[in-house]
Amino acid sequence: MVSMKRMAAVAAVAMVGLSACSGTDSGSSAVPGVPGETKGGDLLAKAPVAAAADILPGSTMEKIKQRGELIVGGSLDAPLLSQQNPTTGEVEGFDADMGKALAKYIIGEPKVKIVNSASETREALLSNGTVDVVFQTYTITPERAKQVAFAGPYYSSGLSLAVRKGTAGIAKPEDLNGKTVIAGANTPAIPAIKKLAPQAKIVTFGSDPECMQALKQERGDVYVQDEMLLVANAQKDPSVQVVGQPFTTDPYGIGLKHGDEQFKKFVNDWLKKIQGDGLWQQTWKNSIGTVVQGEAPTPPQIGSVPGS
Amino acid sequence: MSAILDHLPEFWEGLIVTLQLTAASFLGAAVVGLVITAMRVSPVGVLRGIGTAYVETFQNLPLLVLLVLAVFGLPEIGIKADLLVTAIVVIALYEAAYIAEALRSGVNAVSAGQGEAARALGLTFGQSLRHVILPQALRTVIQPLGNIFIALTMNTSLAAAIGVVDLTAAANRVNLMEAQPIPIFVGAGLAYALIAACAGFVTGRLERRLVMVR
Repeated sequence: MVSMKRMAAVAAVAMVGLSACSGTDSGSSAVPGVPGETKGGDLLAKAPVAAAADILPGSTMEKIKQRGELIVGGSLDAPLLSQQNPTTGEVEGFDADMGKALAKYIIGEPKVKIVNSASETREALLSNGTVDVVFQTYTITPERAKQVAFAGPYYSSGLSLAVRKGTAGIAKPEDLNGKTVIAGANTPAIPAIKKLAPQAKIVTFGSDPECMQALKQERGDVYVQDEMLLVANAQKDPSVQVVGQPFTTDPYGIGLKHGDEQFKKFVNDWLKKIQGDGLWQQTWKNSIGTVVQGEAPTPPQIGSVPGS
Repeated sequence: MSAILDHLPEFWEGLIVTLQLTAASFLGAAVVGLVITAMRVSPVGVLRGIGTAYVETFQNLPLLVLLVLAVFGLPEIGIKADLLVTAIVVIALYEAAYIAEALRSGVNAVSAGQGEAARALGLTFGQSLRHVILPQALRTVIQPLGNIFIALTMNTSLAAAIGVVDLTAAANRVNLMEAQPIPIFVGAGLAYALIAACAGFVTGRLERRLVMVR
């Protein structure tokens, strides 16, 4: 009798579980898929390798080379930037490819281990040496630069607004006052909204598909997120549209251990090299360029922002 | 330290939401848990079955799954409530399963003779529960209920994942600006610890006052 009850309970749980799956499926249709097939392979074949003389004895680079693996703090769920492909298990996107290219530059082959970091843990992971570098849309700010070193910026992006199609009266960030605004938890959108529209009510969700679902279910009037993510979302989902132009500039840096000037210079030299030989541009085209029209933008000037 | 002091208003608002979540969902969980316990010890087989199914379902599903389902799944079938209300209801239903189990252990601790005596006096099932069984059962489970209260307090932090700006979400947002995770999360942790310590103190007092000498 007891086992019968157990069975019934298990069946009930399984049914709830199934409906959970279908629920998330409809949500994740808003995530831009992995662009075509992985082009990372031939891209990385062209990636440069550092001269032996650049790997200074006793340096962080030498330690990484001896370990044979670059440990990167990054995301597994950021579309176009660093997202795990569920079929291959590979992590794909602009940040992920940059990490692999840096690994190849140091070690000679693109061997990386991605430690799923979060914005609460990045500073700690770098300072206690759990990860060597962080590639995770890590906006360079003077506050953060007190605790970590930033190489780069290696990319610059901006926040934009997305609304349900047909929403009137929202075109610029100042229009958000008095509105309910959806934003990704732990994204630079939150402080930006607080600054530009202090009367806005901010609702945060963990991931981009959740934010999109919330926007469509009218949990908020507008979704503030990085422009390229919004453009990708709007392409997948015609019920949502992007309005206006990006209203912030977020320079993304490569997070390194604070005070490791030698490694910072090494990474900056590598950035200059790949920006000069077109690898950076090609990486952009393979990831972000699949949703943003036109040629690769000019990479931001290295060291051009306070904190880098 | 200034990372916390500069943002005290944000922390305070988050703390208030956490306290609201905790109080409202514990109250709801206590009511639902009591009903479920009554069903589980009732003489009607169907009710016992429903009670068992409820407990098994909610104890075997992670709270975060339930929260995400309720927030994103229910609007698909036309049920949409405020995020805070959704969080309160889901946490209450989830914790009710644990409260029901604690209460049931209390009911089982009341000797069978008590129930038999109540029936012999002509009390109905409801009357014997209300006047004889539950008052004794509740006194024996004050400490486990206190533990569930503390666990519930910690569980409310999951509401941060579904857009409720509780203490955890507030700490996250402050950290986003200040990039000082260790003082900020230690500060938030201390606030949770303080709530838990108060709960522990109150349950200790209650237990000493209400203890039954057998």
